[in-house]
Amino acid sequence: MKRPVPMFDSPETFDDLLARFDPKRWLRDPRATGEGIRVAVIDSGIERSVLEDRYAQRGEVLPRIEGAVFRANSPAPLPYDGHQSSPHGTTVADIILSLAPKATLFSADVFGPQGSCEVETVIAGLRYAMDVWNVKVVNLSLGVPEHKLQLLPKRNQLLRAIEEAYYRDVLVFAAAHNDHPVTKSYPAAFGPPLISVDKALFDDPLQFAYALRDQVEFQAHSRGYFGPFSREPATSWATPHLAGIAARLLSLRPTLKPFEIKAILYWMGLALKA
Amino acid sequence: MTETVLIVDDEDGVRRTFQEWLAGMPGVTVYAAADAEAALRIVNEVPIDLTILDWNLGAGSDGLQLLEDLVEFQPEIVAILVTGFANQATPLDALRMGVRDYLDKNQDLNRATFLAAVTKQLAKIIPAKRQRELNRSLADFREAVAKVLPLVQGSAALHDPLPLPVAVHTLFRFLLTATGAKSGALVVRHLPQGAPETAAAYGPDGNALSVGTVPFSRTLGASVVSRQEPCIMNRIGAPDDSIEWLPFEQGRSTILAAPLRVGPGLHVILELFDKPEFVDADKKLVAATADVGAELLRRALTERQTHRLLFDAVEAALKASEEVTATLEPGRIHESPTQAVLDRLKQSFGGDDAPITDGETGLRLLEAVRILATRHGSPAVDHCLILIESLRKLLDSTHG
Repeated sequence: MKRPVPMFDSPETFDDLLARFDPKRWLRDPRATGEGIRVAVIDSGIERSVLEDRYAQRGEVLPRIEGAVFRANSPAPLPYDGHQSSPHGTTVADIILSLAPKATLFSADVFGPQGSCEVETVIAGLRYAMDVWNVKVVNLSLGVPEHKLQLLPKRNQLLRAIEEAYYRDVLVFAAAHNDHPVTKSYPAAFGPPLISVDKALFDDPLQFAYALRDQVEFQAHSRGYFGPFSREPATSWATPHLAGIAARLLSLRPTLKPFEIKAILYWMGLALKA
Repeated sequence: MTETVLIVDDEDGVRRTFQEWLAGMPGVTVYAAADAEAALRIVNEVPIDLTILDWNLGAGSDGLQLLEDLVEFQPEIVAILVTGFANQATPLDALRMGVRDYLDKNQDLNRATFLAAVTKQLAKIIPAKRQRELNRSLADFREAVAKVLPLVQGSAALHDPLPLPVAVHTLFRFLLTATGAKSGALVVRHLPQGAPETAAAYGPDGNALSVGTVPFSRTLGASVVSRQEPCIMNRIGAPDDSIEWLPFEQGRSTILAAPLRVGPGLHVILELFDKPEFVDADKKLVAATADVGAELLRRALTERQTHRLLFDAVEAALKASEEVTATLEPGRIHESPTQAVLDRLKQSFGGDDAPITDGETGLRLLEAVRILATRHGSPAVDHCLILIESLRKLLDSTHG
């Protein structure tokens, strides 16, 4: 007589597992502050004094923000003087710090006065964040639409840099295009090695959802808290929300690997939906 | 570059000897004449740097008289006088006419002294000659550039098909009607290569607005440029420290702003104000209009920019040639300043990604007007201008 095969994928087994990923328990943990987690904001720079003022209004002190400025015509990064190239990066940084107030931020300004950035500059910023700053989380609230990244070698160059981050246990959060899925955007569309984020509105900024749709896996709260257009839902603001949530989780266990974080976010997303 | 030496002596043997002695000197071309007439014929055809004259040319003429005639042809000519009667020479007159040395046939005239005297004079002549040639080439260059300037300006005038205020007004007339916005502004930021950036703004009527002194990185426009898509602010409430408002943005209740991709080195941001609430449909409308608007503005802005570059280049060339002239020191040789100026010109043109597309038409029109003026005088040109103005009015009235 045959012995019955254990049903590990029975609903009961996974209910048990699901229950362990209780978002309330993990995300509301008082130790989940982002402390000790190094986060790179690859964006348009951070206006440090503005964030200092916001912290001061709450009677807090802004953690130190280091940075560097990357330009297409400069092989080495230039020093960061605490200023932004445009307000976008400051809004992104503020969102991350709103969710993970003790995270250590690093500003990689890849936009410059031209107001746009080249793929090579983004890659340079990403590598610097990994090699020099040793960050655990990278926030990319930017993207290149597919029609502007037709050149395969350039696209592969970006993919290789994202894959390298994955293999070095660095979590990359990338914004989907605001017109997703009509318009695809890179690197968000690279999917597996990173965590791609679409926009949605939630009552609680700590809420998010797993909503796989055309290579983009997660949705997060997409309103910022200050800065121009921050009240307008955008993937640029959704991405730092999820990055901030990841920083909170990582401050509970800093050694979590990208696939572990993704799995936890997946389970939590299901739990939040339920 | 070679130096030219003219030997004038009525004695064949002396001429031949001098020619032989000079034959070994590098970079020297030697001419020889037996009398004044032959010498003048040569000088009339060839620029001579140094002449070696016999005091006594026979048939009653002397070297000093000939030199007087030679100076008429070439004021910078330098002479060495060969004489058997050095004590009879009149040094002051001779010096005035360009005699810089004497060689006495009766005393120490040999190959060595002869070549030493010639070498000594050539050493003085060469820098002065180079300086003169340099100044002449610079003057030619400046004259050529000065001739180009009116053409450039004329071409610019002919290539201004759409004045900027008209372009801006046309764009806003449509957008304000279509979206229901109460007002708007167009912010233009120019980032020229190697020069400070400039900013300007225009109201819906096309008139210039003050932009104040806010750094662009702190403006709403900077945010829009980095977002690269139309953005809405429907609830402008508490002051926002992350940006500084431009004067015409202050006190607005709602804003819809969109970047316009007009051209390299130009940031153009379209801003619409004070609709009770901007909606997604407005964003889509502005996004769809952005390309048309960008084309409209491209013609007005980038062609203007091109003309500015042309003017800058010509001015830079003139200035550079002035600087080169001013800084040249006597005896200091600059190999090719004109080339340096041209490089600077090319560099200025190299930064331009929007060349004039129809220069041919402009030049054809200029040429037609020039011919008209040449053949029939300025009244004909005046009449031509009246005809053009009438035609423009007619077309304006029929086409709007």
